[in-house]
Amino acid sequence: MTLQTDRTDATRANFRWAIAIPLALVLAACNAGQPTSEQSAANEQSVVQGTVHVCTSCHGFHGRSVSPRFPNLAGQQKDYIAAQLKAFRDHTRADPHAHTYMWGMAATLTDPTIDGLADYFSSQKPAPGTTGDPTLIAEGGKIFKDGIPDRKVPACQSCHGKNGEGASIIPRLAGQHPGYIADQLDNFISKARANEIMHENSKNLTPEEIQQIATYVGSL
Amino acid sequence: MGGGFGAYLRRSIALAGMGVVSLFFAVAPANALPSFARQTGQQCAACHNGFPELTPYGRLFKLNGYTFGGGQSNLPPLAMMIVEDYTHTQAGQSGGAKTHYGPNNNFSLNTGSIFYGGRILGDYGLGAFVQMTYNDPARSFHWDNSDVRWAHATTIYGNETVFGISVNNNPSVTDLWNTTPAWRYPFQSSSLSLTPSNKTIIEGTYSQQVLGLNGYVSWNRLVYAEVGGYHTLSQDTDMALGIAPNGTDSFRGMAPYWRLALQPQWGPNSFEIGTFGMDASINPGRVTQFGTNDKTDLGFDAQYQWLSDVHRASAQVSYITEHQNLKSSFAQGSSTNRNDQLHSFNAKATYSYEQTYFGTLAYSRIQGSGDPGLYSSTSANNSPNSDWWTVEADYIPFNHGGPDFWPWLNVKFGLQYIWYTKFNGATTNYNGAGRNAADNNTLYGFVWLTF
Repeated sequence: MTLQTDRTDATRANFRWAIAIPLALVLAACNAGQPTSEQSAANEQSVVQGTVHVCTSCHGFHGRSVSPRFPNLAGQQKDYIAAQLKAFRDHTRADPHAHTYMWGMAATLTDPTIDGLADYFSSQKPAPGTTGDPTLIAEGGKIFKDGIPDRKVPACQSCHGKNGEGASIIPRLAGQHPGYIADQLDNFISKARANEIMHENSKNLTPEEIQQIATYVGSL
Repeated sequence: MGGGFGAYLRRSIALAGMGVVSLFFAVAPANALPSFARQTGQQCAACHNGFPELTPYGRLFKLNGYTFGGGQSNLPPLAMMIVEDYTHTQAGQSGGAKTHYGPNNNFSLNTGSIFYGGRILGDYGLGAFVQMTYNDPARSFHWDNSDVRWAHATTIYGNETVFGISVNNNPSVTDLWNTTPAWRYPFQSSSLSLTPSNKTIIEGTYSQQVLGLNGYVSWNRLVYAEVGGYHTLSQDTDMALGIAPNGTDSFRGMAPYWRLALQPQWGPNSFEIGTFGMDASINPGRVTQFGTNDKTDLGFDAQYQWLSDVHRASAQVSYITEHQNLKSSFAQGSSTNRNDQLHSFNAKATYSYEQTYFGTLAYSRIQGSGDPGLYSSTSANNSPNSDWWTVEADYIPFNHGGPDFWPWLNVKFGLQYIWYTKFNGATTNYNGAGRNAADNNTLYGFVWLTF
């Protein structure tokens, strides 16, 4: 990288260029872009398509992500996606990833665009479950189905569905990256992600149990 | 402090003042945004694995023409960078490290840059990264790395395909990985220490002295191919852009550049393997009557990144082999051989914790044919060979967002040590005047501020 160079004898004339070039580019930029509020319904579809292209940079083609740092969105509940995007936009979801990526991504999304994105990703074919350590899956399955009554951990399936499919604003967990699930449970426990119900449900889980649950739902 | 701390301070204050003025200018209402972070509304860590190394998302942001949006800021896409540094070499440089500086232990205002970074016409896929730089040791203001590009994403047979065109001024400045010369390690280095005298042409020899037009295509985020052509600028244009025209070369015709990379990704892993190169017919010193020096660079590179939220590791390696047919230099008596070879190897590995604390180890090597005509002025044994290790520790406190008053501020505090085992051909007395390779070992500290 040549951030510093060794040019001598440069003339003062080049200061004019130094000012003129950025200025010209700024002026060009000032004239660029149009307000999105006046776009027609047809244009809205185009905005959604363009935004999907940006979303998939991290969330993968069709919302099936490669990296466990970014959740699969394919087949996720439509209402859940919309609610989360609004929570990112309003900063009511404030876990570390929300700060780094999603606050910015969601800041200028309009309600119609959010609906369009939620529609698109919820209608994509979900990512298939991933194989994992059978012992972890078996133990995680027990917690998912029965909870841990003596520590007041309810069965996950009571809200997230028998197959982890979710419902409305309750998210689909099936096939989600285990690493992402584990991170979210940690966020609920630490209250980095504010959700009273999930905090109460997960606060008594051990790290081993979190791993078991994450591996199980990832395998669905 | 041989550099004259008072003068250094005055220049620092002047440049900081320039930055403040630019900030006031920047808050004028506008329908565009002043930097990538403001444009996307995201933190530095989204695109950078410790700036300027790119994450997979950062690569896609660049691939798509610097046009991704999201942020709410109305500021224009301007950014500033200031690098202040301190250089200590194991032995001083008699006569001063440079004009205006002492033999050793110099403070300097290494770089002050203004960037245009972001959309130009975002709806049309047009964006730019344009850098103008003031380098205090050289007392010059010049255009620096610049890349204005148009990109368009579409779907072909069900797979995402991104096409793009770039107008730029440095072979490999368009590249997406931190293995090719324009964006590879070291990301910051001293202007006041001695560094090995020889490099291949693609390693910045003609950076900012050329204008290039490149076309690229990315298929399924897996295959990346790029071809381009570069031509040197006239001396008048060099002068206007702050590039000292004295001693510059010219190309005969267009110098082709090519790049092919494969980037498989799985889980938190991102791997890249590729090849790149350049072929130039050069009139050394712009002298045309002796024919040209024809130089062909062929490079191979690989990068691996393992990125989790807390721990991150990355490694880059590249090897460039250059064949030199020195017709013109031989005819002019400035090379002894008609044909020479020059090879460059660079490897670097970085570990980071929470995107805040970084440790880097790097190894570099230059090796080539001995040639008294080419190298006698820098090497007692007429050799271009150098070998060195670099170790660096960085602290980046604001990678996840800056202070409330200016959340887009970021700063890197770096401490770097370079250990030469061979310098310009030898370990001891490499210049015939008693200077040893180890005398150039450099302790370098810097504060790299961007806002």
